Amino acid sequence: MGNRFGNAYGLTVLVPIKQGTANNRSFDKIIRDQLQRWPKHSGSPFALVPNTYLARAFLLQDVFYQGAPAVEEHLKNKYLVVTSNFFGDLDEYLHGMWEAISDALKTVLKHCYGFDQVVSAADFVLYIKKCKINNSLFFNGSNDRPLPEQLKALYVKQAFIHFAYLSQHFRYQGESGAINLQKSFKRFVALIDIHNLKGNSWPVAAVKVPTDIETTIKATIVTYQESIK
Amino acid sequence: MSATETVLDLHDIQGNIVFGYGRWGYPVSRYLFFKINDKQQGMAFVEALIPLVTSSAPLDSQINEGANKVTTNLAFTYAGLRELGLPDDSMRSFPEDFRMGMKARKDILGDDGPSSPENWDPIWQNNYDVHMFMSINARSEENLIERYEQVLVLLQDAGDGAELLSGHKSQTGEELSQYQSGNAIMLNGKLTANEHFHYADGIGNPVFKGQGRNKADTVGNGKPTRSSPDTQDGWEALETGEFILGHRDESSEYPIAPNPRLLSYNGSFMVYRKLHQNVGKFNDYLQKTSKYYGEDGLSDDEKQETLKAKFAGRWSNGAPLASYPDYASAMKFGEHWEQATHTLYHDPEASTQQKEAARKIYQDLKTKRSGFNYANDSKGASCPLGAHTRRTNPRGSLEFDNKGAFDTPGAMVNRRRILRRGLPYGDSSDRSDDDGEHGTIFMVINASIERQFEFVQQQWINYGNDFKLSNEKDALLGNHELDQGGNPDGKTVINSNKTLGQPTFMCSGMPRFVETRGGDYFFIPSLTALRMIAAGIIDPT
Repeated sequence: MGNRFGNAYGLTVLVPIKQGTANNRSFDKIIRDQLQRWPKHSGSPFALVPNTYLARAFLLQDVFYQGAPAVEEHLKNKYLVVTSNFFGDLDEYLHGMWEAISDALKTVLKHCYGFDQVVSAADFVLYIKKCKINNSLFFNGSNDRPLPEQLKALYVKQAFIHFAYLSQHFRYQGESGAINLQKSFKRFVALIDIHNLKGNSWPVAAVKVPTDIETTIKATIVTYQESIK
Repeated sequence: MSATETVLDLHDIQGNIVFGYGRWGYPVSRYLFFKINDKQQGMAFVEALIPLVTSSAPLDSQINEGANKVTTNLAFTYAGLRELGLPDDSMRSFPEDFRMGMKARKDILGDDGPSSPENWDPIWQNNYDVHMFMSINARSEENLIERYEQVLVLLQDAGDGAELLSGHKSQTGEELSQYQSGNAIMLNGKLTANEHFHYADGIGNPVFKGQGRNKADTVGNGKPTRSSPDTQDGWEALETGEFILGHRDESSEYPIAPNPRLLSYNGSFMVYRKLHQNVGKFNDYLQKTSKYYGEDGLSDDEKQETLKAKFAGRWSNGAPLASYPDYASAMKFGEHWEQATHTLYHDPEASTQQKEAARKIYQDLKTKRSGFNYANDSKGASCPLGAHTRRTNPRGSLEFDNKGAFDTPGAMVNRRRILRRGLPYGDSSDRSDDDGEHGTIFMVINASIERQFEFVQQQWINYGNDFKLSNEKDALLGNHELDQGGNPDGKTVINSNKTLGQPTFMCSGMPRFVETRGGDYFFIPSLTALRMIAAGIIDPT
């Protein structure tokens, strides 16, 4: 099945938008406006949905030409398209989505067909599944692990780069350099607390390297003053 | 000569395409930029200049006035060709990169921050003013001035129809000059091939079919084959169409070129960039950072030289890291090179036998200097994966350890080669100075600015993915950014070398060493096209 690649699932949903208007604006324009106002990056509603690798929502108004020779074609409806690559099982993921961002979803989806029937998480899962289309090809560019593990790995990688950079000079301190390096590394290991996924980690959907990683790692390195005590 | 050998009409191709004049004994230059105010007078001015234009034929055989002493070449911006009245159909047929010009391509080139166009020299500040480029290269300052004044007289005849634009920052930075100087750097009273960071420059330049170079010159400078890189079988001349329009290129097609064919045939595209070099920042960074780098037992200066070599992929004296990974062997190369070139070219008392012996050593060293690749260095132990010369000419190393991954080892590289022209400008004898006028007039000649120059600049200088280096930039030329606190944030990794006991070394907090100060994209017509432009008879129908 084209929807699954290892543990990752590629979800594609076309939700038909109601025809007609409210306050002199057609519903698709209202939805577009709402989506454009969604906060970006870590503030995006999708960032709050557990195990989301990459998700996006956009409006499909119409298609005009398809294939060659070009034949003019139109859609019967306008659609809200939602795609998401995520870790794990579809039902579980959709439950998690409803739990995390049902308020944001309701304000948008209330302009779509049939959403007035949705009152519970179970209704929502059913609704989305009805709108789901199957992929014929899906490639997952992620590494197949749950999101918290991936974020932790990103954090550890970044932290270790800082550690390696900040401890390069120990090489020139002979035996005491080796001792200092080991001492620093023990503190580093304690700080990153590698098995604790809830502890220090990479913030969800952060697009810039968080500066506090460097600061906290710096504190693990044995300083000159400390080493001559 | 075999029937398939490429024969070019060198008398029809402008000389700067075939010759890097600086290396051919023309170490002083002036670059002039003109504005065309009137079509007819502008055309007459171009016509008057044609007898001065140097072709690609051997320089001592040209009938043009004094090509053995001074050279002159012309090129045009898109706006310039429009002012000279090229028909709309021809104008529309130029590729988009050239039509947009360099300023509008700043996002592709990474010309931001201090390199952004608002910080360029005044001559580049008025959009579309620069119409025509002229380069004068001469054997001596005297020859140079003579030709310059000859041009000024011809300009006077053109009346108000053409003007020489001022606005190049001069040495003091206060006055503006009517020309941009470019001069080989003198060190200890000797002419050098150095640029302002004091690396020997301009060593590798592509060799293409029909250029009139011998087979030995293709070693290290042509395209790689599967044979050994220190042999003539290891390299072949590149297809002419990579550098000259109207000829077959590396994909066995004719390059995209403007109409009619007579306008583009034997022409090319040129990139002109004035690149400022922050000499003080460079030396300061090296000194500070190299303390924790280098083989044990090296002095501070030697460590500094080692790190400097790792940034470039070559030692200051030109020895490639791929063949000379350690300090001692590189210095030995330099000594032998000095001795051989001295005996060959500068020692009047050397006997014929001594000269003959020196020539053999020189040829051998020249092969070692160019005839190498990175096949035995896929992890970057000798030459880091991100070193400048390895990035800009990967020599077939993009197959990494999958030998045979491509049809030929250079498949990903042969369409990205560029001819480099130009000379350093200004003075950097104060080695701690950043703000003075010193840098490189960097020119590129290629058939496609987008596919060749812009690709190298965007993907290989300011990005690292092709070398498995993620978004790491070229240490020397990269447009290193500032971090969130406003501090320099350039980074590079020097790969480990187990043989020399050197672990991986990370350089960080790197400032921008090179900044753009101006430039544009130019079309270099053939002599035929130049005459047709001057006569107003370009006809695309």
